[in-house]
Amino acid sequence: MSRYIGARVVQLVFIIFFISIVAFLLVHLLPGDPTISILGPNDTAQARVELLKQLGLNKSLPLQYWTWISNVFHGNLGISFLTHQTVSNAIGVAFPIDLELIIVSQILAFIVSIPLALIAALRPNRIFDRIATTSTYAMLAVPTFVVAVILVLLVAVKIHIFPATGFNPIGQGLGSNLKSVLLPSISLAVGSVAIYYRLLRADMIATLQEDFITMARAKGLSTPYILLRHALRPSSFALLAGAGLSIGSLFTGAFVVEILFQLPGIGFQLIQAINSRDYLVVQGMALVAAVAYVVINFGVDVLFTFLDPRVRRG
Amino acid sequence: MANSADRYDRRTFISRGATTAAGLAMAGVGAPALLSACGGSSNPGSSTATTRAGTPGVSTATPVRGGSVTIGVSSEIDGFLPASSHFDATGLTYANAVFDTLTAIAADASVRPHLAASVMPNADLTVWTVTLRPNVVFHDGSPLTADVVLQNFKAIKASALTGQAVTPISSVTTSGDLTVIYNCDEPLVAFPAYLATQVGYVIALSQLDNTNSGSQNPVGTGPFKIVSWEPNDHFTVERNPDYWNKGLPYLDTVTFKPIVSDQSRELSLRSGTIDLMVSHDPGIIADLRTDPGFQQVNDLTQTAGQPDMDFICLNTTIEPTSDLMVRQALAYATDVEQVVKLFSRGVVTPNTSLFPEGSIYRAADNGYPQYNLARAKQLVAQAAPNHGGSLTIPLVDITDPRQAEIIQALGSMWQAAGFKVNLNQIEQVTYISDLVEGKFTAAADEQFSSPDPDLNYVWLSSTTASGPIALNFARNKDPLIEAALQKGRTSADKSARIEAYQTVDKRLSVDLPYLWFSRAPWSITGNTTVQNFANPILPDGTKGLGFAGGVFRPAQIWMKA
Repeated sequence: MSRYIGARVVQLVFIIFFISIVAFLLVHLLPGDPTISILGPNDTAQARVELLKQLGLNKSLPLQYWTWISNVFHGNLGISFLTHQTVSNAIGVAFPIDLELIIVSQILAFIVSIPLALIAALRPNRIFDRIATTSTYAMLAVPTFVVAVILVLLVAVKIHIFPATGFNPIGQGLGSNLKSVLLPSISLAVGSVAIYYRLLRADMIATLQEDFITMARAKGLSTPYILLRHALRPSSFALLAGAGLSIGSLFTGAFVVEILFQLPGIGFQLIQAINSRDYLVVQGMALVAAVAYVVINFGVDVLFTFLDPRVRRG
Repeated sequence: MANSADRYDRRTFISRGATTAAGLAMAGVGAPALLSACGGSSNPGSSTATTRAGTPGVSTATPVRGGSVTIGVSSEIDGFLPASSHFDATGLTYANAVFDTLTAIAADASVRPHLAASVMPNADLTVWTVTLRPNVVFHDGSPLTADVVLQNFKAIKASALTGQAVTPISSVTTSGDLTVIYNCDEPLVAFPAYLATQVGYVIALSQLDNTNSGSQNPVGTGPFKIVSWEPNDHFTVERNPDYWNKGLPYLDTVTFKPIVSDQSRELSLRSGTIDLMVSHDPGIIADLRTDPGFQQVNDLTQTAGQPDMDFICLNTTIEPTSDLMVRQALAYATDVEQVVKLFSRGVVTPNTSLFPEGSIYRAADNGYPQYNLARAKQLVAQAAPNHGGSLTIPLVDITDPRQAEIIQALGSMWQAAGFKVNLNQIEQVTYISDLVEGKFTAAADEQFSSPDPDLNYVWLSSTTASGPIALNFARNKDPLIEAALQKGRTSADKSARIEAYQTVDKRLSVDLPYLWFSRAPWSITGNTTVQNFANPILPDGTKGLGFAGGVFRPAQIWMKA
């Protein structure tokens, strides 16, 4: 297994290196330059040239990339052209927000989707399954921002239980922290519930038709025991793969929810930085998001090796 | 016609972000009155609002000390350095919390001292002597001195961002601890108004000299001191116990929360997450102004200074809008009434002038072409042969759903007159770049907010209409406008200034570099607990400009117990 993991780590390093180049190039290929944002329309040609020099943007792209990536290896992601805040600091603010959003939303998604899928798979095409499947279709169809606005109107505006916007760090109290992330987390969880339910239900139905399940039933084991101890593990590969992709993509894909709830997470800050051509922030945030995505999926791969011996053998 | 969903609202970026000269900075303090260089107003600039009992945003009750307020603002800023940060409406409001300007604008449009005890000119208005208020200290305990003001001015003058705003001021010297002397190349009648804008904020040397984190750590003389600034999340300030204007501020802390989506900001107000919010969106303004649970102040009748205007900017140097006949045809083809009716939710009315209704600078009849489709078609038919047989107008705006609707409506109107119209929405950075570099034909724009018309000189002058980068985006060169702008800049005679700017207004209707729509609306809306958020009283007892262009002063806000 260690050889398998070692090979995946090497692969991961190459992927991150490739992503860093792509992130760097994409940002620099965008029309417009950061001097517009920094100087505004009041600038002069000379001021622009001076500023480009100050920012090191007058150098060749390979040289700029080399400077940036060397600094990254020394733990220096640079300084925002606009706010003069270090990119590490901006990430330090944004990353925990995303992390918490993802953890809470995925816990909610698993809490709802796994029991639903287990019960539905027990008796496929019966009334519960049909209701659950139809409901998850609807959940997939409703855009996240619609869910977010409805939740805010119902729970924040009508009955003032939760704040409509903003993030309270855990340092300000766990209660107020959870209150600030619950609505956005539910908004994000809705789509995940639908996907996880469908993935697990399909695999579970197939698993429940396997011989070893029939054997377990013949031995007189209880249905919950069979579902949780025998059927869930072999049915969860697609669910885990789906969760890996979903969680990874939430690092940047949650930006709509972040904007609606004014949560300065990575997606939110990335969009802001792209709009103002704040190159180092874009590169830093994109790199962190990409690393998070790759690492999470690497974690999922490693998890597979524990769940399925065939993976580590093959 | 406006929306502020971008980090730097595109319009405020253009109208204030760069010039600094255009930003209204409202003062809260004064001393012996100084000259009223800004000119007056036929309509004193009090903000108006809903018609409930009492005046929204104004309280005459005894203020309650202490408490906190959370304010939703429409954007985030990029720092706190007046010389290099873009102070849009949010930036100016933040700055009003932690800094002070040397002068301030009163509700009657006069300019009053603020950090300055007096501002006095010589006989020909070429030398201005500013005497500072004594015994003022910065948040770091250092004293406000003439040398500090001098160093601040040097930074402003040297900055690519702000240098052009103070071009008329050639040098500054000091005399003693509290006297600063500004020397101008020519008479500069609006000089005191300049000191009420971004270039008039004074920061401590400890901030000015801090090249590493100075932009993130404001050190001013203002009513509040920074507690923390987390960009895109919050800016929190606490009461400055040593504030030189004794008795102020009333609140213990103020937290500003940048919420870029107008809808999210409205929902935050309605849910009680914030107490007060600024909006630039006519729909939100309309929704909240009739809600009895809130009190709203807007700047729609404000004529102290000059509000932002919504308009289409036409490039007068490239085909086909370089042809006056084409610009005339576009003006005749634009049904301003209809556009404003469709998109302003009844919040604003059509305004086909550089100046708003009620402004003393507005010409009674500026001769701006009225909607006339038949005339437009006739002009298109006449002009088309000179441009290859057809007239194609690329109309550009920033990416924004609401703006998309507006330019689509405009496109339909122009097509009805015989134009071919290519609509294009582009990103803000590219949009600004294209405007500055003249790479556009027609662009939806918002500009001209200023406490004095002279501060719009750079946007309108022939001297800034050429070259690869031009601040006169339309690149309109009109000797009569230039002469009138010069007269407005240098003449101390109020009636002569009025006549000069009325001439500018009329000439713009002849040249047609801009197709006007309306003034840009701003509002501030609070729950019923927030008191006095649009009622700054200057120390000399005069009423300060309460709320204009999305900017206000938090020092005199208090919360009902």
